[in-house]
Amino acid sequence: MFGYNLELAWHGLRRFPRSTVLVVLTVALGLAACMTTLTLLHVLTADPLPGRSQHIYQAWVDTVQGKAFTTSADMAMNGVSASSGYQRIKLGDAQALLAKHRATRQVVTADMISDVASADGKHVQGSQVILATSSDFVPMFGVPMRYGRNWSVAEEAARTPVVLIDTDLAQKLFATENAVGRRVRLGRTLFQVVGVFAPYAPQPHFYGLDVAAFTGDGGENLYLPYTAALDAGLSPLTADRCDASYKASPGGMPSDPAHCASLGFWVQLDKPAQVAGYRAFLIHYVEQQKVLAGFAKPARAELTSVAAWLKQQDVVPDSVRLNVWLAGSFLLLCMINVAGLLAARFLRRSGEIGIRRALGAPRLAVFLQHVLEAGGACLAGGLVAIPLTWLGVWTLRQQGNDFSGLVHLDPLMFGVLFALALAVGMLVGILPAWRASAVEPGLQVKSE
Amino acid sequence: MDIRPTLSALRRHKLAAGLLVLEIAVACAILCNAMFMIGSRLSRMDVHTGIDESSLVWLQTDGISDATAVPVTERNLAALRAIGGVTSDAMVVSLPLANQDMNFNPTLDAANTINGPNTQMMLGSPGYLQVLGLKLVAGRDFNNTEYAGTEAWLPQSSSMIVTRALATRLWPGKSALGQAFWIGKRRFQVIGVIDHMVRGELRGSASEYVALFAARPTSMLSALYVLRVDKLARDRVLREAADKLVELNPQMLISQQGTYAELRASYFAGDKAMAWLLVTVCAALLVVTALGIAGLASFWVAQRRRQIGIRRAIGATRGDILRYFQLENFLIVSGGIALGMALAYAINLILMTHYEMPRLPVAYLPIGAITLWLIGQLAVFGPARRASRVPPVVATRSV
Repeated sequence: MFGYNLELAWHGLRRFPRSTVLVVLTVALGLAACMTTLTLLHVLTADPLPGRSQHIYQAWVDTVQGKAFTTSADMAMNGVSASSGYQRIKLGDAQALLAKHRATRQVVTADMISDVASADGKHVQGSQVILATSSDFVPMFGVPMRYGRNWSVAEEAARTPVVLIDTDLAQKLFATENAVGRRVRLGRTLFQVVGVFAPYAPQPHFYGLDVAAFTGDGGENLYLPYTAALDAGLSPLTADRCDASYKASPGGMPSDPAHCASLGFWVQLDKPAQVAGYRAFLIHYVEQQKVLAGFAKPARAELTSVAAWLKQQDVVPDSVRLNVWLAGSFLLLCMINVAGLLAARFLRRSGEIGIRRALGAPRLAVFLQHVLEAGGACLAGGLVAIPLTWLGVWTLRQQGNDFSGLVHLDPLMFGVLFALALAVGMLVGILPAWRASAVEPGLQVKSE
Repeated sequence: MDIRPTLSALRRHKLAAGLLVLEIAVACAILCNAMFMIGSRLSRMDVHTGIDESSLVWLQTDGISDATAVPVTERNLAALRAIGGVTSDAMVVSLPLANQDMNFNPTLDAANTINGPNTQMMLGSPGYLQVLGLKLVAGRDFNNTEYAGTEAWLPQSSSMIVTRALATRLWPGKSALGQAFWIGKRRFQVIGVIDHMVRGELRGSASEYVALFAARPTSMLSALYVLRVDKLARDRVLREAADKLVELNPQMLISQQGTYAELRASYFAGDKAMAWLLVTVCAALLVVTALGIAGLASFWVAQRRRQIGIRRAIGATRGDILRYFQLENFLIVSGGIALGMALAYAINLILMTHYEMPRLPVAYLPIGAITLWLIGQLAVFGPARRASRVPPVVATRSV
């Protein structure tokens, strides 16, 4: 019986080919618009470190010696939320937390900008975003190493000028990927390359939101120990806040981590008990900072998971969500349109339906036939939507913003498209099909 | 023409007619809001920067020099001025819409208790106001002695020029000349007022809060050079300028360069893309709506052939039939528009709370309504004309 209804639906679709084409194209347009925007949202809301991020937390203690913000107006105007900027900490706290070693792994992160040159000065890459961090970064974030090794804790403590670079930068500076043992110049200091990693750029760029939330053109291509970076006169790009007493000296660092909260601090905590323990440890740590008492600040410490951090910082641009809503309402419009067309064509067949019913077909059979017809049309629309979505994604990739390079279609999105097409088919079919199945058997036969 | 028969005919097609009304309503709501968004993007892109944009080119340089004592920038500026086609040049810290700026919060008293708004600090080498084409409306330009050095980013000279917008914000109703504000312990006094200049980044009503200061060129290799050039020689000048700078300073990198028009276009690239996207959505929406209306009307015409024939047989003219379908469409579209306007406001309210959108101006509603009425009439015209050609003899045949 299902097969028979399927056959009838197929005949129905072929009977008004022009209107069928119209239905299929309308559904395809709506689906493609929706899928294009959903693909972008899917890419931007993806987990930056699948399998790892649930164990990574940002640790923050507020030890800046200055009054807590009372007015938010000035800060809000800078486009920075008044709460706490990017929840970064000062150098002294970072070193204390690293030394206590209460988490499985812990890293300091700070993005800096520097020209990077080969030791002979022949090849220069200007204004590169580089990452000052600590030795746990590579194992904790899962950076894929290609050649050489990571730097050691001892080298970091000894402020040894060593760096890791990625294969792209190695290629540009030394015309070879294996640049282990070569030297690069940052400012006036020469650094030894001890390892080379494959280009690595988790998206969103959650540990360095002050640079950009998304780095579609690639991440940092050089990592160096934060100790050696500070020795070389490099300083974090931005700071959340500085001590009230701190004034940048001429030619000095505008965001010196010794006085400004400008270092990100991330810890790996594998078990829930560890998380609770670390949170208690942070609160205890900040309460110990007696020096803050004079500023009448409450002790503030926070431990934030990666997912919560991304949500709190609202990294997905408003326009992306707005576009999903826009495309969604466009799909709704297409659906109403298709439902209207289907209703008209089903009711045009009232005569046949009446005869089928008079011959003994139950309402359910008539209903099924028409829902199948609607579903078939929408699935065909889904097929046509695939190349259209591909075209939409291609158009998105042409936009020159931070995340346009990241957009791509993956199998999951094809699954979503198929499910969406089916759901749309059922939804737009139900009302007209119900109306068609409500046709009285005898009446139509009589009027003919 | 009497509406009643049309209405009672529609009552027999409740489902299809209802769906069409709903479709028009959704289309109207999206259309009004999308057009409003397009309008606000376009007016943002239309911003008047206050500088003379047409013949300005710029070069951003980078690099770390070993010789800090040599006045590198002054020598570079002189060399650039010698290139054929260059009228004047200067070094500045930022340009309007350059997406980078240096900001501070002035205070209106020496004790730093009365806070002013976040303001951009603009600095440049001698003559930069003329190079940029900024227009003074009161007071005077900086003189040569005022172009002094900087100390911890603050200019040593205490003279400054402010935009009219900042002057009105800080000293409403007073002449700004001679007024002063403080940055920390330092006092700065207004010597001139310019009519317009926007910041590196647009910030709504604070977009023109700029204070301009004078600075002597530094020895740093990293700088932003602006050149006023002969319009026709723009590309050649840019090429020659970059070559010249690298020749003079082997350690210098030209990190970016271009015309001001390109800089402006790149600032608004996102707005432009969004506006195009919205235009595409509007076009697709109108096409889909039109096709839907035409499709439904065709079905109705085919279904009512017999009735049309009867009407024709008992004396209705072709025009009557044509007008019947046009009126029917007008009624459906009007119903949709009425519902759609309410929906448009509802959507706007949601956007206002979640996406910092301003209130939808009433003017967009009639534009949306007229567009949909026109689309409806255009879409129904084909099927309606087919209907009007149904011969009266159809009435005598059985279907």
